[in-house]
Amino acid sequence: MLITRQMISQTLLLLGLSLYTAYAAGPFVWTALMSVRTTSEISADPYAWPETWHWSKYLDAWYSSNYAAYFWNSTIVVVVSVILLSVIGALAAHCLARYRFRGNRLVYFVIFSTIIFPPQITIIALFQVLVEYGLFNSHIGLILVYVSIQLPLTVFLLEGFFARLPQDLFDAARMDGYSDLEIFWRITVPVGMPAIITTMILNTIHLWNEFLYAVVLITDDDKRTLPLGIQKFMGDRLEDTGMIATGMMIAVIPIIIIYAVFSEKLIQGMTAGAVK
Amino acid sequence: MAIVQLKQLSKYYSGQSEPAVDAVSLTVDDGEFMVLLGPSGCGKSTTLRMVAGLENISAGELLIDDVLMNKIPAKDRDIAMVFQSYALYPHMTVRDNMAFGLRRRGIKGAELERRVRATAETIGLTPYLDRKPHALSGGQRQRVALGRAIVRNPKVFLLDEPLSNLDAALRVSTRSELVKQQRNLGTTMIYVT
Repeated sequence: MLITRQMISQTLLLLGLSLYTAYAAGPFVWTALMSVRTTSEISADPYAWPETWHWSKYLDAWYSSNYAAYFWNSTIVVVVSVILLSVIGALAAHCLARYRFRGNRLVYFVIFSTIIFPPQITIIALFQVLVEYGLFNSHIGLILVYVSIQLPLTVFLLEGFFARLPQDLFDAARMDGYSDLEIFWRITVPVGMPAIITTMILNTIHLWNEFLYAVVLITDDDKRTLPLGIQKFMGDRLEDTGMIATGMMIAVIPIIIIYAVFSEKLIQGMTAGAVK
Repeated sequence: MAIVQLKQLSKYYSGQSEPAVDAVSLTVDDGEFMVLLGPSGCGKSTTLRMVAGLENISAGELLIDDVLMNKIPAKDRDIAMVFQSYALYPHMTVRDNMAFGLRRRGIKGAELERRVRATAETIGLTPYLDRKPHALSGGQRQRVALGRAIVRNPKVFLLDEPLSNLDAALRVSTRSELVKQQRNLGTTMIYVT
């Protein structure tokens, strides 16, 4: 009797999980299948299994549609932005979490309050500022914008984590003779690594997919990032659905790999070494 | 080896009318084991933190070997402190925890290893040198915290309720161990409990 009840609950759980997996992974599988079919095949029957697997579409996208350039542009912009965000964000968060000074909460509030502005409000002003400083249509300009839009959330998440680290740890390092900056590198950064990796993953995913700022601030085809490359296949009259799916797969694969690699590290970091 | 003198030492926190520490005067002789005892919140820890250099001194003078220490930063006072929470660096092994302060003072290589080993030997930590703090019991962590202070061979030892996280039996044995260590080392110690 007891075993059957357990079996029922297990079956229900399995069923629920299967449904959720289908719901979450379904669109992804569909896109993946479309990425190896041509647009005319897709128009004939959107949900059909590929008759012939057109792997050459990936080569087409990579070489003929300039995806190689988009991919490297995205990589450079995102990697540099995420590194800058992690360093600046962690320093700012450490400072706000660790030091009592006049205006601490004010600085925190000012940084965090910028999160309330939707990008549509700031983008025209940003456009003008970047043109003024000769940063329009450049990767450096886009990186600066990316760092500034993601900094509030990064500081918010890291500050919350750093503030929970016990003060004794920092006092002990001071007694051991370390300066403030050394304490940051040798204590805050390694101990706070799970939080730093979390913000790195969030920032990478968000910036890798970022479209609005990129479409406004980059005009040269050679400087475009991946989301703009995908847009190229959306014409006024005809949408090249097949190539859009291929482009999306190229864009999404690195993110999946990064997430798979980092999330394991993340869990390791979270479970190892509680403070006391 | 040092004489610690507190002259009218006071601590005021902004926004509080009563001082946290009110004109404490005290002399701890060279090699003396001084114990500060009192109810919680009476300012023992604050006094200790002022001696350590972790809190600014609002009024009065702190002298170690007749040198005024008020403005000297914690790292230059040659004082070691054992914290109530032990404050072990969670990402480092026991060896690295103990070596952390020595490395900062330019000790490395064979000399570093020799000193860490010698200290670990005296307090029975040798088998645990490669473990991280989370893999140790409460008593072992406490000994690492103590070892981290001993290995530096400081002028003054400060202990802030180092036994309060241990169970009763362990507390008694550690306490006698501590007294023994102090006699062996002959270091000036201030112990808050």
